[in-house]
Amino acid sequence: MLRLGEGDRSPAAADAGLNVAMSTTATVVDGRRLRSERTRQLIIEAYLSLLRDSTQVPTSAQIAERAGYSVRSVFERFPDLMSLRIAATDHAFAQGTASAQLRDLDGDRETRIRSQVETRARTCETWLPMWRALTANQGDSDELKSRVRLARELILRRLELMYQPELSTLAEPMRRYTLIALEALTDFESWGRMRENYGLTIGEASEVWIRTIDRLLPATSAA
Amino acid sequence: MSDAVQPGDDGARPSGEGREPRIDGRRLRSERTRRLIIEAYIALVRETGHMPTAAQIAERAGYSVRSIFERFPDLTALRVAVTDYSIAEARATGALRDLDGDRLTRIRSQVSQRGSGCERWLPLWRVLSSDLSEAPDLQQRIGMIRQLIVMRMEMMFRPELSLVSDAVRKKTMLALESLLDFESWARMRELYGLSFEEACSVWVKAIDRLLPQTPA
Repeated sequence: MLRLGEGDRSPAAADAGLNVAMSTTATVVDGRRLRSERTRQLIIEAYLSLLRDSTQVPTSAQIAERAGYSVRSVFERFPDLMSLRIAATDHAFAQGTASAQLRDLDGDRETRIRSQVETRARTCETWLPMWRALTANQGDSDELKSRVRLARELILRRLELMYQPELSTLAEPMRRYTLIALEALTDFESWGRMRENYGLTIGEASEVWIRTIDRLLPATSAA
Repeated sequence: MSDAVQPGDDGARPSGEGREPRIDGRRLRSERTRRLIIEAYIALVRETGHMPTAAQIAERAGYSVRSIFERFPDLTALRVAVTDYSIAEARATGALRDLDGDRLTRIRSQVSQRGSGCERWLPLWRVLSSDLSEAPDLQQRIGMIRQLIVMRMEMMFRPELSLVSDAVRKKTMLALESLLDFESWARMRELYGLSFEEACSVWVKAIDRLLPQTPA
């Protein structure tokens, strides 16, 4: 494409040609990279969508078919299915964190409980299948295990921030015990049971959590 | 097994005397092999936390792989048998206690039994309850175990649950079920590093807050 030192062109023209060629190369490279990134993204989304459709861990053939690529394309972007699982987990965490911003931190007790339950319910509703696949397979990979641990830490941290006015009234170890109980009560599987086993609507399941949290939390600090 | 020896059979058919004990002996041996295979499966799950292979089970039980598949058509059928065996054992060792105790005694009794149950059965629970989509028999049994856990709590906390509306009772039970779940126990012990007693304290205090007032 580019031949340096072409005699029939001025240095300026040659420079200009070099710039154009470089720019073209960059465009080609960027375009290729973008397409590759898009393929990668579509493979991750295919994996997540298959998890939502079935409790079975998807095979590479199913993922490829759903994404509209060949199995080879899948393995060109991910050395193995574990790498794909890890990438999908990171994608889910990024999405989940972006859509679960802390809100109503300064609200009264009821507002904070409702706000937290609403956000947590949305997260569970969207990410329960992914969470199940993640926890079921965490034994196969330290990377997955560390992500499960991180997710739980973030959930605990969020509960701590949302209910700081109530938790601050408790001495240790009661504060920690209450936090652990809150985490258990609003776990993904707690939501899953209410929705799948007991057939509760999102509104009904949310009401169970709201009442439960209200009973579990100590009185709100006056400060 | 119940039809192996019928009362009144002794001496009634002298010509069959020689055959019956042999059949019974064979059946007993077969039943014993079956039980040893189930126990090998349980022991392996407790040790490794993973679903064992047929070869591992056979080796642990001291039989051939063929012996396993003579008694169980496939590994899912073995999982179902392991579940039935475990349910029977858990029921035998987990009799209801302190039903007439005061509120705190009943809460502590329930928590101590449930905590011990989780300690004992958690690895097996994880293996048996994973990947149920193609095992309706197993799905049904897992549902039954959940029901038994809920029924037990309803009995233990009857005084508190009896005076509230259906809606409140249902919400309370849903919360208690989540709180006392196997994985809730596992997180306390494995992730948060709580001792058995500390984990029990978390549950005792939470149940006390979640339960309605005890009637006078």
